[in-house]
Amino acid sequence: MNPEDIKYHKEHTWAKVKGKKATIGITDYAQESLGDVVYIDLPETDIDVEANTDLTEIESTKATSAVISPVSGTILEVNDKLADSPEVINEDPYGKGWIAVIEMSDQSELDVLMDADEYEAYIEEESK
Amino acid sequence: MRIAIIGSGPGGYVAAIKAAQLGAQVTVIEKDEVGGTCLNWGCIPTKTLSASAEALYKAKRLSEYGIDVQGEVKPDLSRIIDRKDKVVATQIKGIRSLFKFRNINLIEGSGRIKSIGQIDVEKRDGTRQVVEADKIIIASGSRPARISTFPIDGKSILSSNEAVVLRQLPQSLIIIGAGVIGCEFACIFAEFGVEITMLELLDRAVSTEDYEISEILERELKKKKIKVVTGVKVERVEILPDGVRAVVEGEKTYSAEKMLVSIGRQYNTEDIGLEAVGISKGPRGEIIVDDSMETTIKGIYAVGDVVGGMLLAHVASKEGIVAAVNACGGDMKMDYSVVPAAIFTSPEIGSVGLREHQAVSKGLKVRAGRFQFRALGKAHAMGEIAGFVKIIADSDSDRILGVHIIGPHAADLVHEGALAIKGGMTAKQLGEMIHAHPTLSEGLMEAAEDVHGSAIHSAK
Repeated sequence: MNPEDIKYHKEHTWAKVKGKKATIGITDYAQESLGDVVYIDLPETDIDVEANTDLTEIESTKATSAVISPVSGTILEVNDKLADSPEVINEDPYGKGWIAVIEMSDQSELDVLMDADEYEAYIEEESK
Repeated sequence: MRIAIIGSGPGGYVAAIKAAQLGAQVTVIEKDEVGGTCLNWGCIPTKTLSASAEALYKAKRLSEYGIDVQGEVKPDLSRIIDRKDKVVATQIKGIRSLFKFRNINLIEGSGRIKSIGQIDVEKRDGTRQVVEADKIIIASGSRPARISTFPIDGKSILSSNEAVVLRQLPQSLIIIGAGVIGCEFACIFAEFGVEITMLELLDRAVSTEDYEISEILERELKKKKIKVVTGVKVERVEILPDGVRAVVEGEKTYSAEKMLVSIGRQYNTEDIGLEAVGISKGPRGEIIVDDSMETTIKGIYAVGDVVGGMLLAHVASKEGIVAAVNACGGDMKMDYSVVPAAIFTSPEIGSVGLREHQAVSKGLKVRAGRFQFRALGKAHAMGEIAGFVKIIADSDSDRILGVHIIGPHAADLVHEGALAIKGGMTAKQLGEMIHAHPTLSEGLMEAAEDVHGSAIHSAK
Protein backbone atom coordinates (compact mmCIF):
# COMPACT_ATOMS: atom_id res chain seq x y z
CA MET A 1 0.00 0.00 0.00
CA ASN A 2 1.21 3.49 -0.81
CA PRO A 3 1.08 5.91 2.11
CA GLU A 4 -1.73 8.50 2.21
CA ASP A 5 0.25 11.43 3.53
CA ILE A 6 2.52 11.90 0.54
CA LYS A 7 2.22 13.12 -3.04
CA TYR A 8 3.22 11.10 -6.10
CA HIS A 9 4.84 12.06 -9.39
CA LYS A 10 4.11 10.16 -12.59
CA GLU A 11 7.81 9.26 -12.90
CA HIS A 12 7.39 7.22 -9.73
CA THR A 13 8.88 9.55 -7.18
CA TRP A 14 7.20 10.90 -4.07
CA ALA A 15 7.27 14.06 -1.95
CA LYS A 16 6.41 14.29 1.70
CA VAL A 17 5.72 17.91 2.52
CA LYS A 18 6.31 19.72 5.80
CA GLY A 19 6.06 23.49 5.50
CA LYS A 20 8.36 24.53 2.67
CA LYS A 21 10.39 21.35 2.83
CA ALA A 22 9.74 18.26 0.80
CA THR A 23 11.40 14.92 1.41
CA ILE A 24 11.89 13.02 -1.85
CA GLY A 25 12.17 9.35 -2.65
CA ILE A 26 11.18 6.71 -5.19
CA THR A 27 7.96 4.74 -4.89
CA ASP A 28 7.53 1.11 -3.98
CA TYR A 29 6.46 0.44 -7.57
CA ALA A 30 9.69 2.05 -8.80
CA GLN A 31 11.94 0.02 -6.52
CA GLU A 32 10.05 -3.13 -7.43
CA SER A 33 10.51 -2.52 -11.17
CA LEU A 34 14.16 -1.55 -10.77
CA GLY A 35 15.10 -4.62 -8.81
CA ASP A 36 18.04 -4.63 -6.40
CA VAL A 37 19.44 -1.13 -6.11
CA VAL A 38 23.24 -1.27 -6.15
CA TYR A 39 24.14 2.41 -6.25
CA ILE A 40 22.66 5.86 -6.07
CA ASP A 41 24.60 8.85 -7.27
CA LEU A 42 23.80 11.13 -4.34
CA PRO A 43 23.20 14.73 -5.39
CA GLU A 44 25.08 17.56 -3.72
CA THR A 45 23.45 19.89 -1.26
CA ASP A 46 22.87 23.59 -1.97
CA ILE A 47 22.22 23.05 -5.63
CA ASP A 48 18.95 23.90 -7.34
CA VAL A 49 16.76 21.38 -9.08
CA GLU A 50 13.73 21.82 -11.24
CA ALA A 51 10.57 19.79 -11.13
CA ASN A 52 10.30 17.08 -13.82
CA THR A 53 14.07 16.99 -14.38
CA ASP A 54 16.76 14.60 -13.19
CA LEU A 55 17.51 14.83 -9.49
CA THR A 56 20.03 12.04 -9.76
CA GLU A 57 20.59 8.55 -11.16
CA ILE A 58 20.02 5.22 -9.58
CA GLU A 59 21.60 1.93 -10.58
CA SER A 60 20.02 -1.43 -10.02
CA THR A 61 21.15 -4.84 -11.14
CA LYS A 62 18.81 -4.45 -14.10
CA ALA A 63 19.00 -0.84 -15.18
CA THR A 64 20.24 2.67 -14.64
CA SER A 65 17.46 5.21 -14.40
CA ALA A 66 16.97 8.83 -13.62
CA VAL A 67 15.25 9.93 -10.44
CA ILE A 68 12.90 12.72 -11.50
CA SER A 69 12.33 15.49 -9.00
CA PRO A 70 8.63 16.06 -8.26
CA VAL A 71 9.27 19.65 -7.12
CA SER A 72 11.60 22.58 -7.80
CA GLY A 73 13.88 24.05 -5.17
CA THR A 74 17.20 23.81 -3.40
CA ILE A 75 18.61 20.56 -2.06
CA LEU A 76 19.00 20.98 1.69
CA GLU A 77 19.95 17.50 2.70
CA VAL A 78 20.78 14.13 1.15
CA ASN A 79 20.55 10.70 2.69
CA ASP A 80 24.27 9.86 3.04
CA LYS A 81 23.44 6.45 4.46
CA LEU A 82 22.48 5.34 0.96
CA ALA A 83 26.10 5.66 -0.17
CA ASP A 84 27.05 2.47 1.63
CA SER A 85 23.62 0.85 1.85
CA PRO A 86 21.68 1.61 -1.32
CA GLU A 87 19.58 -1.52 -0.70
CA VAL A 88 17.64 0.49 1.92
CA ILE A 89 15.77 1.97 -1.05
CA ASN A 90 14.37 -1.50 -1.77
CA GLU A 91 13.70 -2.29 1.86
CA ASP A 92 12.02 0.92 2.91
CA PRO A 93 11.32 3.21 -0.08
CA TYR A 94 8.96 5.52 1.84
CA GLY A 95 11.00 5.65 5.05
CA LYS A 96 14.73 5.06 5.53
CA GLY A 97 15.17 4.99 1.78
CA TRP A 98 14.44 8.71 1.34
CA ILE A 99 16.87 10.39 -1.05
CA ALA A 100 16.87 14.15 -0.46
CA VAL A 101 15.14 17.05 1.24
CA ILE A 102 14.32 19.98 -1.01
CA GLU A 103 13.33 23.47 0.02
CA MET A 104 10.54 24.16 -2.43
CA SER A 105 10.55 27.30 -4.52
CA ASP A 106 7.04 26.85 -5.94
CA GLN A 107 4.50 25.09 -3.78
CA SER A 108 1.87 25.23 -6.50
CA GLU A 109 3.75 22.39 -8.19
CA LEU A 110 2.30 20.12 -5.53
CA ASP A 111 -1.16 20.59 -7.02
CA VAL A 112 -0.34 18.57 -10.12
CA LEU A 113 1.02 15.62 -8.12
CA MET A 114 -1.19 12.63 -7.43
CA ASP A 115 -2.58 11.42 -4.13
CA ALA A 116 -2.32 7.76 -3.11
CA ASP A 117 -5.57 6.70 -4.79
CA GLU A 118 -4.77 8.47 -8.03
CA TYR A 119 -1.28 7.00 -8.08
CA GLU A 120 -2.61 3.53 -7.50
CA ALA A 121 -4.98 3.88 -10.42
CA TYR A 122 -2.14 5.31 -12.47
CA ILE A 123 0.23 2.39 -11.92
CA GLU A 124 -2.56 -0.06 -12.52
CA GLU A 125 -3.16 1.60 -15.86
CA GLU A 126 0.57 1.72 -16.62
CA SER A 127 1.21 -1.92 -15.85
CA LYS A 128 -1.62 -3.08 -18.10
CA MET B 1 71.12 -1.95 -46.25
CA ARG B 2 72.38 -0.87 -42.83
CA ILE B 3 69.75 0.59 -40.50
CA ALA B 4 70.47 2.12 -37.09
CA ILE B 5 67.70 2.74 -34.60
CA ILE B 6 67.88 4.98 -31.55
CA GLY B 7 65.66 3.55 -28.84
CA SER B 8 64.11 0.12 -28.37
CA GLY B 9 60.63 0.81 -27.06
CA PRO B 10 57.58 -0.50 -28.93
CA GLY B 11 58.44 1.86 -31.81
CA GLY B 12 62.14 1.07 -32.05
CA TYR B 13 62.21 -2.64 -31.37
CA VAL B 14 59.35 -3.42 -33.75
CA ALA B 15 61.05 -1.30 -36.45
CA ALA B 16 64.26 -3.27 -35.82
CA ILE B 17 62.59 -6.64 -36.22
CA LYS B 18 60.65 -5.54 -39.30
CA ALA B 19 63.81 -4.15 -40.94
CA ALA B 20 65.68 -7.37 -40.14
CA GLN B 21 62.84 -9.42 -41.64
CA LEU B 22 63.23 -7.35 -44.78
CA GLY B 23 66.90 -8.25 -44.94
CA ALA B 24 68.53 -5.18 -43.44
CA GLN B 25 71.54 -5.26 -41.18
CA VAL B 26 70.17 -3.63 -38.01
CA THR B 27 71.81 -1.93 -35.05
CA VAL B 28 69.74 -0.77 -32.09
CA ILE B 29 71.10 1.76 -29.61
CA GLU B 30 69.43 1.75 -26.19
CA LYS B 31 70.50 3.87 -23.26
CA ASP B 32 68.21 2.34 -20.65
CA GLU B 33 66.63 -1.08 -21.14
CA VAL B 34 64.97 -2.72 -24.15
CA GLY B 35 61.23 -2.28 -24.22
CA GLY B 36 61.35 1.43 -23.43
CA THR B 37 58.76 3.23 -21.35
CA CYS B 38 56.03 0.79 -22.27
CA LEU B 39 57.73 -2.27 -20.88
CA ASN B 40 59.80 -0.77 -18.10
CA TRP B 41 57.75 2.15 -16.77
CA GLY B 42 54.36 2.26 -18.41
CA CYS B 43 51.94 -0.20 -19.96
CA ILE B 44 53.30 -3.45 -18.62
CA PRO B 45 54.19 -2.37 -15.05
CA THR B 46 50.82 -0.67 -14.56
CA LYS B 47 48.91 -3.61 -16.01
CA THR B 48 50.77 -5.91 -13.64
CA LEU B 49 49.81 -3.66 -10.73
CA SER B 50 46.22 -3.47 -11.89
CA ALA B 51 46.12 -7.27 -12.10
CA SER B 52 47.09 -7.34 -8.42
CA ALA B 53 44.44 -4.72 -7.65
CA GLU B 54 41.86 -6.77 -9.52
CA ALA B 55 42.84 -9.93 -7.65
CA LEU B 56 42.41 -8.05 -4.39
CA TYR B 57 39.06 -6.65 -5.49
CA LYS B 58 37.85 -10.18 -6.25
CA ALA B 59 39.31 -11.52 -3.01
CA LYS B 60 37.46 -8.91 -0.97
CA ARG B 61 34.21 -9.97 -2.64
CA LEU B 62 34.73 -13.74 -2.44
CA SER B 63 31.75 -14.25 -0.14
CA GLU B 64 29.51 -12.79 -2.87
CA TYR B 65 30.64 -15.74 -4.99
CA GLY B 66 29.89 -18.17 -2.19
CA ILE B 67 33.48 -18.69 -1.15
CA ASP B 68 34.62 -18.45 2.46
CA VAL B 69 38.03 -17.11 3.21
CA GLN B 70 39.65 -17.02 6.59
CA GLY B 71 41.91 -14.28 7.81
CA GLU B 72 42.51 -10.86 6.38
CA VAL B 73 42.89 -10.17 2.69
CA LYS B 74 45.44 -7.40 2.22
CA PRO B 75 48.00 -6.18 -0.29
CA ASP B 76 51.76 -6.41 0.23
CA LEU B 77 53.06 -3.76 -2.12
CA SER B 78 56.63 -4.95 -1.94
CA ARG B 79 55.66 -8.39 -3.24
CA ILE B 80 53.34 -6.85 -5.80
CA ILE B 81 56.34 -4.86 -7.10
CA ASP B 82 58.49 -8.02 -7.06
CA ARG B 83 55.91 -9.70 -9.26
CA LYS B 84 55.89 -6.69 -11.56
CA ASP B 85 59.69 -6.82 -11.82
CA LYS B 86 59.51 -10.49 -12.72
CA VAL B 87 56.94 -9.93 -15.45
CA VAL B 88 59.01 -7.06 -16.87
CA ALA B 89 62.21 -9.14 -16.75
CA THR B 90 60.54 -11.96 -18.68
CA GLN B 91 59.37 -9.54 -21.37
CA ILE B 92 62.84 -7.97 -21.61
CA LYS B 93 64.32 -11.41 -22.17
CA GLY B 94 61.74 -11.97 -24.87
CA ILE B 95 62.77 -8.87 -26.82
CA ARG B 96 66.46 -9.66 -26.38
CA SER B 97 65.99 -13.17 -27.73
CA LEU B 98 63.98 -11.86 -30.69
CA PHE B 99 66.92 -9.53 -31.43
CA LYS B 100 69.33 -12.45 -31.24
CA PHE B 101 67.15 -14.57 -33.49
CA ARG B 102 67.06 -11.78 -36.08
CA ASN B 103 70.78 -11.00 -35.77
CA ILE B 104 70.02 -7.49 -34.55
CA ASN B 105 73.02 -5.84 -32.95
CA LEU B 106 72.10 -4.21 -29.62
CA ILE B 107 74.44 -1.54 -28.33
CA GLU B 108 73.78 -0.33 -24.79
CA GLY B 109 74.51 3.35 -24.64
CA SER B 110 73.36 6.83 -25.67
CA GLY B 111 73.25 7.55 -29.37
CA ARG B 112 73.67 10.96 -30.93
CA ILE B 113 73.39 11.59 -34.66
CA LYS B 114 76.70 13.02 -35.81
CA SER B 115 75.96 13.36 -39.47
CA ILE B 116 73.60 11.82 -42.00
CA GLY B 117 74.74 8.22 -41.84
CA GLN B 118 76.70 8.32 -38.59
CA ILE B 119 75.67 7.92 -34.96
CA ASP B 120 78.10 8.58 -32.16
CA VAL B 121 77.45 6.20 -29.27
CA GLU B 122 78.60 6.69 -25.72
CA LYS B 123 78.43 3.18 -24.40
CA ARG B 124 77.35 2.29 -20.90
CA ASP B 125 80.85 0.98 -20.17
CA GLY B 126 82.28 4.42 -20.95
CA THR B 127 83.75 3.61 -24.36
CA ARG B 128 82.67 5.29 -27.59
CA GLN B 129 81.71 3.86 -30.93
CA VAL B 130 80.57 5.34 -34.22
CA VAL B 131 77.78 3.41 -35.91
CA GLU B 132 77.60 3.79 -39.69
CA ALA B 133 74.16 3.46 -41.25
CA ASP B 134 72.45 4.02 -44.58
CA LYS B 135 69.19 4.89 -42.84
CA ILE B 136 68.42 6.02 -39.30
CA ILE B 137 65.19 5.60 -37.32
CA ILE B 138 64.75 7.76 -34.22
CA ALA B 139 62.53 6.16 -31.57
CA SER B 140 63.72 8.02 -28.49
CA GLY B 141 60.32 8.18 -26.80
CA SER B 142 59.04 10.44 -24.05
CA ARG B 143 59.20 10.92 -20.30
CA PRO B 144 56.82 12.27 -17.65
CA ALA B 145 56.35 16.02 -18.15
CA ARG B 146 57.81 18.25 -15.48
CA ILE B 147 56.73 21.78 -14.74
CA SER B 148 58.02 23.98 -11.93
CA THR B 149 54.65 24.03 -10.12
CA PHE B 150 55.15 20.35 -9.30
CA PRO B 151 58.73 19.76 -8.19
CA ILE B 152 58.98 15.99 -8.60
CA ASP B 153 61.52 14.79 -6.01
CA GLY B 154 60.79 11.08 -6.15
CA LYS B 155 60.00 11.08 -2.42
CA SER B 156 56.92 13.16 -1.64
CA ILE B 157 56.12 14.18 -5.18
CA LEU B 158 56.23 11.34 -7.65
CA SER B 159 55.94 10.87 -11.37
CA SER B 160 54.58 7.62 -12.79
CA ASN B 161 58.19 6.36 -12.95
CA GLU B 162 58.48 6.44 -9.16
CA ALA B 163 54.94 5.20 -8.65
CA VAL B 164 55.71 1.84 -10.28
CA VAL B 165 58.63 1.17 -7.94
CA LEU B 166 57.00 2.33 -4.71
CA ARG B 167 57.33 -0.39 -2.10
CA GLN B 168 55.34 1.13 0.71
CA LEU B 169 51.78 2.32 0.40
CA PRO B 170 51.14 5.90 1.43
CA GLN B 171 48.09 6.43 3.60
CA SER B 172 46.84 9.10 1.21
CA LEU B 173 47.71 10.34 -2.27
CA ILE B 174 46.89 13.43 -4.29
CA ILE B 175 46.93 12.77 -8.01
CA ILE B 176 47.47 15.78 -10.23
CA GLY B 177 45.70 15.18 -13.53
CA ALA B 178 42.73 12.88 -14.14
CA GLY B 179 43.85 11.71 -17.56
CA VAL B 180 44.61 8.12 -18.55
CA ILE B 181 47.66 7.68 -16.31
CA GLY B 182 46.17 9.46 -13.29
CA CYS B 183 42.93 7.46 -13.44
CA GLU B 184 44.72 4.12 -13.83
CA PHE B 185 46.88 4.80 -10.77
CA ALA B 186 43.86 6.09 -8.84
CA CYS B 187 42.04 2.79 -9.38
CA ILE B 188 45.09 0.72 -8.46
CA PHE B 189 46.01 2.59 -5.29
CA ALA B 190 42.41 3.04 -4.14
CA GLU B 191 41.99 -0.72 -4.31
CA PHE B 192 45.11 -1.09 -2.18
CA GLY B 193 43.44 1.10 0.44
CA VAL B 194 45.05 4.47 -0.27
CA GLU B 195 42.83 7.52 0.19
CA ILE B 196 42.87 9.32 -3.18
CA THR B 197 42.11 12.88 -4.19
CA MET B 198 42.38 13.76 -7.88
CA LEU B 199 42.79 17.36 -9.02
CA GLU B 200 42.07 17.98 -12.69
CA LEU B 201 42.38 21.23 -14.60
CA LEU B 202 39.82 20.31 -17.25
CA ASP B 203 36.14 19.84 -16.58
CA ARG B 204 36.12 16.04 -16.66
CA ALA B 205 38.17 12.91 -16.15
CA VAL B 206 39.69 11.22 -19.25
CA SER B 207 38.84 14.28 -21.31
CA THR B 208 39.99 12.65 -24.55
CA GLU B 209 37.10 10.16 -24.34
CA ASP B 210 33.42 10.49 -25.16
CA TYR B 211 31.54 12.60 -22.59
CA GLU B 212 29.36 9.70 -21.48
CA ILE B 213 32.43 7.56 -20.84
CA SER B 214 33.87 10.27 -18.58
CA GLU B 215 30.57 10.51 -16.75
CA ILE B 216 30.41 6.80 -15.99
CA LEU B 217 34.09 6.63 -15.07
CA GLU B 218 33.68 9.53 -12.64
CA ARG B 219 30.78 7.71 -11.05
CA GLU B 220 32.76 4.48 -10.76
CA LEU B 221 35.65 6.42 -9.18
CA LYS B 222 33.17 7.89 -6.72
CA LYS B 223 31.99 4.40 -5.84
CA LYS B 224 35.58 3.58 -4.93
CA LYS B 225 35.58 6.65 -2.64
CA ILE B 226 38.07 8.40 -4.92
CA LYS B 227 37.54 12.13 -4.70
CA VAL B 228 37.66 13.69 -8.17
CA VAL B 229 37.81 17.47 -8.26
CA THR B 230 37.57 18.79 -11.81
CA GLY B 231 38.02 22.29 -13.18
CA VAL B 232 40.65 23.26 -10.61
CA LYS B 233 44.03 24.79 -11.19
CA VAL B 234 46.72 23.94 -8.67
CA GLU B 235 48.60 27.15 -7.92
CA ARG B 236 51.39 25.71 -5.85
CA VAL B 237 52.54 22.71 -3.91
CA GLU B 238 54.01 22.81 -0.43
CA ILE B 239 56.13 20.05 1.02
CA LEU B 240 55.26 19.54 4.69
CA PRO B 241 57.17 17.50 7.28
CA ASP B 242 54.55 14.75 7.03
CA GLY B 243 53.34 15.09 3.48
CA VAL B 244 52.34 17.49 0.73
CA ARG B 245 49.75 20.16 0.28
CA ALA B 246 48.25 21.41 -2.97
CA VAL B 247 46.91 24.93 -2.98
CA VAL B 248 44.33 25.55 -5.67
CA GLU B 249 42.86 28.77 -7.00
CA GLY B 250 40.79 30.41 -4.32
CA GLU B 251 43.25 29.24 -1.65
CA LYS B 252 41.48 25.95 -1.02
CA THR B 253 43.97 23.29 0.00
CA TYR B 254 44.25 19.51 -0.25
CA SER B 255 46.76 17.52 1.81
CA ALA B 256 48.07 14.00 1.53
CA GLU B 257 51.11 11.93 2.40
CA LYS B 258 52.30 11.84 -1.21
CA MET B 259 51.52 13.35 -4.56
CA LEU B 260 51.56 11.76 -8.01
CA VAL B 261 51.98 14.12 -10.94
CA SER B 262 50.43 12.83 -14.17
CA ILE B 263 50.04 15.89 -16.34
CA GLY B 264 51.31 14.51 -19.63
CA ARG B 265 54.49 13.50 -21.38
CA GLN B 266 57.50 15.32 -22.73
CA TYR B 267 59.38 14.30 -25.89
CA ASN B 268 62.93 13.00 -25.67
CA THR B 269 64.50 15.18 -28.33
CA GLU B 270 67.52 16.45 -26.42
CA ASP B 271 71.06 15.11 -26.92
CA ILE B 272 70.23 12.91 -29.89
CA GLY B 273 71.82 15.17 -32.48
CA LEU B 274 68.74 16.61 -34.19
CA GLU B 275 70.52 19.94 -34.59
CA ALA B 276 73.63 18.36 -36.14
CA VAL B 277 71.67 17.35 -39.23
CA GLY B 278 68.90 19.98 -39.04
CA ILE B 279 65.85 17.87 -38.26
CA SER B 280 62.82 20.14 -37.73
CA LYS B 281 60.59 20.11 -34.70
CA GLY B 282 56.96 21.13 -34.40
CA PRO B 283 55.33 23.64 -32.05
CA ARG B 284 55.23 21.21 -29.13
CA GLY B 285 58.79 20.05 -29.58
CA GLU B 286 57.85 16.87 -31.42
CA ILE B 287 59.86 15.70 -34.42
CA ILE B 288 58.05 16.52 -37.66
CA VAL B 289 57.50 13.55 -39.98
CA ASP B 290 55.50 12.92 -43.13
CA ASP B 291 53.11 10.00 -43.62
CA SER B 292 55.99 7.69 -44.49
CA MET B 293 57.51 8.58 -41.06
CA GLU B 294 60.45 10.36 -42.67
CA THR B 295 61.74 13.49 -40.92
CA THR B 296 62.62 16.69 -42.75
CA ILE B 297 65.98 15.06 -43.49
CA LYS B 298 65.92 12.36 -46.15
CA GLY B 299 66.89 8.93 -44.91
CA ILE B 300 66.19 9.74 -41.27
CA TYR B 301 62.89 8.53 -39.90
CA ALA B 302 61.21 9.05 -36.53
CA VAL B 303 58.50 6.99 -34.83
CA GLY B 304 56.64 6.66 -31.54
CA ASP B 305 56.01 9.21 -28.80
CA VAL B 306 58.76 11.51 -30.10
CA VAL B 307 56.67 12.39 -33.17
CA GLY B 308 53.72 13.46 -30.99
CA GLY B 309 50.10 12.73 -31.89
CA MET B 310 48.73 9.65 -30.21
CA LEU B 311 51.22 8.53 -27.57
CA LEU B 312 50.26 4.87 -27.67
CA ALA B 313 52.55 1.86 -27.79
CA HIS B 314 50.61 0.18 -30.58
CA VAL B 315 50.68 3.34 -32.68
CA ALA B 316 54.45 3.53 -32.14
CA SER B 317 54.80 -0.09 -33.30
CA LYS B 318 52.82 0.56 -36.46
CA GLU B 319 54.85 3.70 -37.15
CA GLY B 320 57.97 1.58 -36.62
CA ILE B 321 56.80 -0.90 -39.23
CA VAL B 322 56.01 1.90 -41.69
CA ALA B 323 59.43 3.49 -41.14
CA ALA B 324 61.23 0.15 -41.47
CA VAL B 325 59.43 -0.74 -44.69
CA ASN B 326 60.19 2.65 -46.22
CA ALA B 327 63.79 2.65 -44.99
CA CYS B 328 64.23 -0.71 -46.74
CA GLY B 329 63.01 0.73 -50.02
CA GLY B 330 59.32 -0.05 -49.75
CA ASP B 331 56.38 2.31 -49.95
CA MET B 332 54.02 2.35 -47.00
CA LYS B 333 51.95 5.17 -45.51
CA MET B 334 50.87 5.57 -41.90
CA ASP B 335 47.10 5.50 -41.44
CA TYR B 336 45.68 6.84 -38.17
CA SER B 337 42.00 6.49 -39.08
CA VAL B 338 41.27 3.43 -36.93
CA VAL B 339 43.26 3.34 -33.69
CA PRO B 340 41.70 1.46 -30.79
CA ALA B 341 42.77 2.71 -27.38
CA ALA B 342 42.52 1.12 -23.97
CA ILE B 343 42.45 2.60 -20.48
CA PHE B 344 42.98 0.13 -17.67
CA THR B 345 40.85 1.74 -15.04
CA SER B 346 38.37 -0.33 -13.11
CA PRO B 347 36.17 -0.82 -15.02
CA GLU B 348 38.22 -0.71 -18.22
CA ILE B 349 37.65 1.66 -21.11
CA GLY B 350 38.05 0.81 -24.77
CA SER B 351 37.42 3.29 -27.54
CA VAL B 352 37.89 3.62 -31.26
CA GLY B 353 36.84 6.15 -33.86
CA LEU B 354 34.92 9.35 -33.35
CA ARG B 355 33.56 10.52 -30.03
CA GLU B 356 30.01 11.84 -30.35
CA HIS B 357 31.05 15.48 -29.83
CA GLN B 358 33.81 15.08 -32.43
CA ALA B 359 31.33 13.74 -34.97
CA VAL B 360 28.95 16.60 -34.26
CA SER B 361 31.68 19.23 -34.54
CA LYS B 362 32.67 17.73 -37.89
CA GLY B 363 29.15 18.53 -39.00
CA LEU B 364 28.11 14.87 -39.24
CA LYS B 365 24.61 13.79 -38.41
CA VAL B 366 24.85 10.81 -36.12
CA ARG B 367 22.74 8.37 -34.18
CA ALA B 368 23.98 6.70 -31.01
CA GLY B 369 23.01 3.30 -29.67
CA ARG B 370 23.71 2.31 -26.09
CA PHE B 371 23.54 -0.88 -24.13
CA GLN B 372 24.28 -1.48 -20.48
CA PHE B 373 26.28 -4.49 -19.36
CA ARG B 374 23.86 -4.93 -16.46
CA ALA B 375 21.29 -6.17 -18.96
CA LEU B 376 23.53 -9.11 -19.92
CA GLY B 377 23.42 -12.49 -18.23
CA LYS B 378 27.16 -12.94 -18.60
CA ALA B 379 27.89 -9.70 -16.73
CA HIS B 380 25.72 -10.90 -13.84
CA ALA B 381 27.33 -14.32 -13.84
CA MET B 382 30.72 -12.66 -13.63
CA GLY B 383 29.54 -10.22 -10.99
CA GLU B 384 30.71 -7.25 -13.10
CA ILE B 385 27.68 -5.26 -14.18
CA ALA B 386 28.90 -1.66 -14.33
CA GLY B 387 29.31 0.15 -17.62
CA PHE B 388 27.91 0.24 -21.11
CA VAL B 389 28.62 0.11 -24.83
CA LYS B 390 27.96 3.13 -27.04
CA ILE B 391 28.00 2.93 -30.81
CA ILE B 392 27.90 6.02 -32.97
CA ALA B 393 26.71 5.66 -36.56
CA ASP B 394 26.17 8.07 -39.41
CA SER B 395 22.44 8.91 -39.64
CA ASP B 396 22.37 8.66 -43.42
CA SER B 397 24.72 5.84 -44.33
CA ASP B 398 24.42 3.98 -40.99
CA ARG B 399 28.16 3.35 -41.11
CA ILE B 400 29.76 2.94 -37.69
CA LEU B 401 31.93 5.93 -36.82
CA GLY B 402 32.82 5.30 -33.19
CA VAL B 403 32.62 2.59 -30.54
CA HIS B 404 33.05 3.46 -26.87
CA ILE B 405 32.98 0.92 -24.11
CA ILE B 406 33.36 1.17 -20.36
CA GLY B 407 32.97 -2.08 -18.47
CA PRO B 408 34.48 -5.51 -17.96
CA HIS B 409 37.09 -6.41 -20.63
CA ALA B 410 36.30 -3.23 -22.58
CA ALA B 411 39.89 -3.05 -23.83
CA ASP B 412 39.50 -6.42 -25.54
CA LEU B 413 35.90 -5.91 -26.66
CA VAL B 414 36.65 -2.69 -28.50
CA HIS B 415 38.46 -4.51 -31.30
CA GLU B 416 35.21 -5.79 -32.74
CA GLY B 417 34.28 -2.13 -33.09
CA ALA B 418 37.64 -1.34 -34.67
CA LEU B 419 37.14 -4.10 -37.21
CA ALA B 420 33.63 -2.88 -37.99
CA ILE B 421 34.88 0.66 -38.61
CA LYS B 422 37.85 -0.53 -40.66
CA GLY B 423 35.57 -2.70 -42.78
CA GLY B 424 33.05 0.10 -43.28
CA MET B 425 30.24 -1.84 -41.63
CA THR B 426 26.86 -0.38 -40.77
CA ALA B 427 25.22 -0.56 -37.36
CA LYS B 428 22.53 -2.72 -38.93
CA GLN B 429 25.12 -5.24 -40.17
CA LEU B 430 26.82 -5.43 -36.78
CA GLY B 431 23.48 -5.85 -35.03
CA GLU B 432 22.49 -8.63 -37.43
CA MET B 433 25.61 -10.66 -36.84
CA ILE B 434 25.06 -13.58 -34.46
CA HIS B 435 26.97 -13.11 -31.21
CA ALA B 436 27.65 -16.04 -28.92
CA HIS B 437 25.66 -16.28 -25.72
CA PRO B 438 26.47 -15.70 -22.93
CA THR B 439 29.26 -13.24 -23.65
CA LEU B 440 30.03 -9.60 -23.01
CA SER B 441 30.26 -9.17 -26.79
CA GLU B 442 26.49 -9.34 -26.93
CA GLY B 443 26.68 -5.78 -25.61
CA LEU B 444 28.09 -4.65 -28.96
CA MET B 445 25.36 -6.41 -30.89
CA GLU B 446 22.65 -4.89 -28.70
CA ALA B 447 24.19 -1.40 -28.83
CA ALA B 448 24.33 -1.69 -32.64
CA GLU B 449 20.66 -2.70 -32.68
CA ASP B 450 19.88 0.16 -30.33
CA VAL B 451 21.15 2.62 -32.97
CA HIS B 452 17.81 1.78 -34.64
CA GLY B 453 15.91 1.41 -31.37
CA SER B 454 15.61 -2.34 -31.75
CA ALA B 455 17.78 -3.82 -28.99
CA ILE B 456 16.09 -6.99 -27.79
CA HIS B 457 17.13 -6.82 -24.16
CA SER B 458 16.28 -3.19 -23.62
CA ALA B 459 13.10 -2.02 -21.90
CA LYS B 460 13.24 1.60 -22.92
